[in-house]
Amino acid sequence: MFLLSFGFAFGQNRCANIFSGRILDESGEPLIGAAIVLDPTGKGVVADLNGNFTLSGICSDLYHVTVQFLGYQEQVFEVRINANVNKTITLVPDVETLKEVVVSEKVEHLETSQNYAVLSGEKLAETAGKSLGESLQEISGVNTIQSGPGIFKPVIHGVHSQRVLILNHGIRQEGQQWGAEHAPEIDPFIASNIVVVKDASSIKYGTDALGGVVIVNPAELPQSPGLGGTLNLVGQSNGRLGTISGLLEGGIKNREGWGWRLQGTGKRAGDYHTPDYFLTNTGIKELNFSTSMGYHDETKGFEVFVSHFRTDIGILKGIAISNLDDLVAAMEREPPQSTNDFFSYNIDEPRQHVSHNLVKVSGHKETDHGDWRVQYGFQNNNRREYDIRKGDLSGVPSIDLKLNTHTLEAEWETPHHPANSLCVGFNGMHQNNVNIYGTQRIPFIPNYVNFSGGVFGVAKFIRKDWVFDLGGRYDYRFYNAKGYDFKNALYDESFSFENVSLTAGASTQLDPNRSLAFNLSTSWRPPHVAELYSLGTHQSAAAIEYGLLLNDTTNEVMDINDVSFQIERALKAVGTYKRQWRNFQFELSGFTNYIFNYIYLRPTGITQNLRGTYPYFRYTQTDALFVGADFTAVWNLTRRIKVSPQVSLLRASDVTNHDVLTYIPSNKYEVAVRFEEPNQFALKKFFVESKIKYVAKQQNAPRVITPRQIQEGAEQGIDVFAGNDQIFDFMPAPDAYALVYLSTGFSIDRKKIRYDIRLAAENLLNTEYREYTNRLKYYADDIGRNFTVSLKCVF
Amino acid sequence: MTKSIIVFLIAFAFWGCEAEEPVKEDVPELITKVTLTFTPVGGGTDVLVTATDPDGEGVENIKVDGAINLAAGTNYRLSLTLINELAEMSSPEYDITDEVEDEGAEHLFFYGWTSNVFSNPTGDGNIDNRADEVNYEDMDEGGLPLGLATSWTAGVASSGTFRLILKHQPQLKTATSDVNTGETDLDITFEININ
Repeated sequence: MFLLSFGFAFGQNRCANIFSGRILDESGEPLIGAAIVLDPTGKGVVADLNGNFTLSGICSDLYHVTVQFLGYQEQVFEVRINANVNKTITLVPDVETLKEVVVSEKVEHLETSQNYAVLSGEKLAETAGKSLGESLQEISGVNTIQSGPGIFKPVIHGVHSQRVLILNHGIRQEGQQWGAEHAPEIDPFIASNIVVVKDASSIKYGTDALGGVVIVNPAELPQSPGLGGTLNLVGQSNGRLGTISGLLEGGIKNREGWGWRLQGTGKRAGDYHTPDYFLTNTGIKELNFSTSMGYHDETKGFEVFVSHFRTDIGILKGIAISNLDDLVAAMEREPPQSTNDFFSYNIDEPRQHVSHNLVKVSGHKETDHGDWRVQYGFQNNNRREYDIRKGDLSGVPSIDLKLNTHTLEAEWETPHHPANSLCVGFNGMHQNNVNIYGTQRIPFIPNYVNFSGGVFGVAKFIRKDWVFDLGGRYDYRFYNAKGYDFKNALYDESFSFENVSLTAGASTQLDPNRSLAFNLSTSWRPPHVAELYSLGTHQSAAAIEYGLLLNDTTNEVMDINDVSFQIERALKAVGTYKRQWRNFQFELSGFTNYIFNYIYLRPTGITQNLRGTYPYFRYTQTDALFVGADFTAVWNLTRRIKVSPQVSLLRASDVTNHDVLTYIPSNKYEVAVRFEEPNQFALKKFFVESKIKYVAKQQNAPRVITPRQIQEGAEQGIDVFAGNDQIFDFMPAPDAYALVYLSTGFSIDRKKIRYDIRLAAENLLNTEYREYTNRLKYYADDIGRNFTVSLKCVF
Repeated sequence: MTKSIIVFLIAFAFWGCEAEEPVKEDVPELITKVTLTFTPVGGGTDVLVTATDPDGEGVENIKVDGAINLAAGTNYRLSLTLINELAEMSSPEYDITDEVEDEGAEHLFFYGWTSNVFSNPTGDGNIDNRADEVNYEDMDEGGLPLGLATSWTAGVASSGTFRLILKHQPQLKTATSDVNTGETDLDITFEININ
């Protein structure tokens, strides 16, 4: 059985019993996606592609079971579970009293008060063909920092990069996350669901999760014989993008418990298009595959997972600029320089070539003395960035980095008690970053070794109606960095950091319709090598960046003990209130995140070299405050029509300097109206959905100093930054915009194969707009109207 | 299981705590020194001025070793030398002048100056307007001007500024491509005195 469980690969509470079975319709067809919930535990899962479900770790007791599926009558019954129970459940169509499934994704969690959101099932299917970062934008409170149509970096509650941890199959994703134009190297088609934890409580996964965690969960491997699979075909008009993704999986005959899976994705896009012109050189080429194999039974399991991700991404040609004058010209020009009046799949400089390989081995065993889990991961990340360079050098990457990471984790959890549980464990990481010789540039970041280790403990207990969880961890990180400074002279430095993280949470079900959860956590992160040693310009930024360890005036690399560096630490509080009525339900959460010694790039002045004048930015520390709220709701207007509003509000400020911060996502409001007709003729799950998204103007954007002002100042010998070190931006925040989306789709069943067909239009009105958090906003409009056709076959 | 954990821990320790020794890169694109040589056509002493950037990408500003002092009414030929002092003198990366010349079809020098410091060319140069007059003495393979060699006739006694810009215009260089086209490789302003 392969299970679309929402559980994490790690960290579930288990009793010995397993409650499993199948959910079918009257004709014996599996009801894929039917939801089953076991109360009072609140545990729930969704039936998989064969209608199978499994709930493990069930304590012996009497339970109320609720089974729901859109268009079918809800079934409620009692079941006493003393041993493993297997049950087949048949649902009857309910044409008259069609009711929305309100069992909104119940996720098994160790830390129950975590504020999280899940992208799964239909929602995830709707993002087919998009990158991981772009898909996550569907979740309230999650935004992206974008570098054109192909590069999306997730932002949770206003923080990103080093402050967002991404777990792929339970392994910390380790790439070159430091750059704003470096997107996560994960194929979203490998996920059966993606969980975004929006608080800092995920203490088991290590340091860095100051803003939150993105967890990419695969489906569980099949355990019994049989062959299944999925084929996805996606076509998009804008960029003329084509995606093909296939998955094949099965069990092994006469080898109960063994399962395997093969998966692959190919993607090709060319130049995207704004309402008025092509964005020349914004193509994408991607090829990914993964395979896994494993054995699972009731008390133990073992799994090997191997994946390869490879992408080539073009960056808008018109941003190829050198100094401030070039920037002035580029910003005052539309369409951008080098814009072709024809479409092309060509990917030219500037471009990126990134590959990421992962091997994971994991095992778990449940004994009377506790549950043991161990996993080892090896990641190999290669990143090459090609710029427009002189002559032959255009074919030579200006950045060429290889990053190898080994991670090892082990944890032990008490054999399940309904009321209390304790989990302890450790993580170790060894990382080696190497600059591949031959770039003919002084490397932007040095070679380094990162050796880290941590231990943690998480406890969960129940007092009256409240579930509490407490956790703590200690981490140590050692760095050795070897690189070349501005004079191309070698430096070699070693240092280490250590600190603790703590979390406390509480949640309660006030009554069947209302629940409350709070979490308060403090976590820290060691600085990234890029924040310490960065030197120079990278991928057409028209600005020079200096790391924290470079001397203000001499530019020499200094010892970390001689600079006023302090550990970055976040104190984040999140509260969530959920309420549901017969036809309406909502979730409201508020958060504040105070980050001490927040590391950011601060504009510091202008410098002159023989290529001209450049503004320069220095990594600096300040205290930053992020405050905001997320709101989502579903209103079942009639049996077939539902309205879902979603709001994300965020305000960020630099407390120390009484200033604002840059690249903070603005407030976002959206409302979707959806009509559903589950069973009309041969069409199943027919829907039409219309969505309007309104993105407000960022009112708390930095002051504006245009490149022209800097340039004119420089010509007259005036440093426009003198006497005012407030943060600035080259242009005012773009205006607010509203986009209209329209989509429709349905499913057909033919000979045991299910076809999901979907048509969608994004930016239907072809609105011209620029997004504040898109780094291309200085040069070009965002993309125009896009039509998507997608076909998914499940067999 | 406990055993395997121990084995892994030992393995971790063996991977070591020393970063791999980086190999020093040649940096051919870095220009740290630009020399302007004004040679009097009728004979006489060359006039040399140099702009240097000792710290490359560092915060220090460039240094110019003095003003360009030309004699009124004299005809000069200007040649440029572009040097990367971070490279070994014997290395091909040391003298970037040749590279710019070889890739002449992708490069173009623009000049701008205070009106009237020269009697020929007249005007204030082609930085503000590509069509304005500059006396290029060299061409790329496509017959378009390059600007490593130019000629100038000093006007009457006066003073002002003299600015040169080198643009890298791969596949963009045309008879009309201007100072806003492509990327900037050099942009330096000198004082100029006509005595």
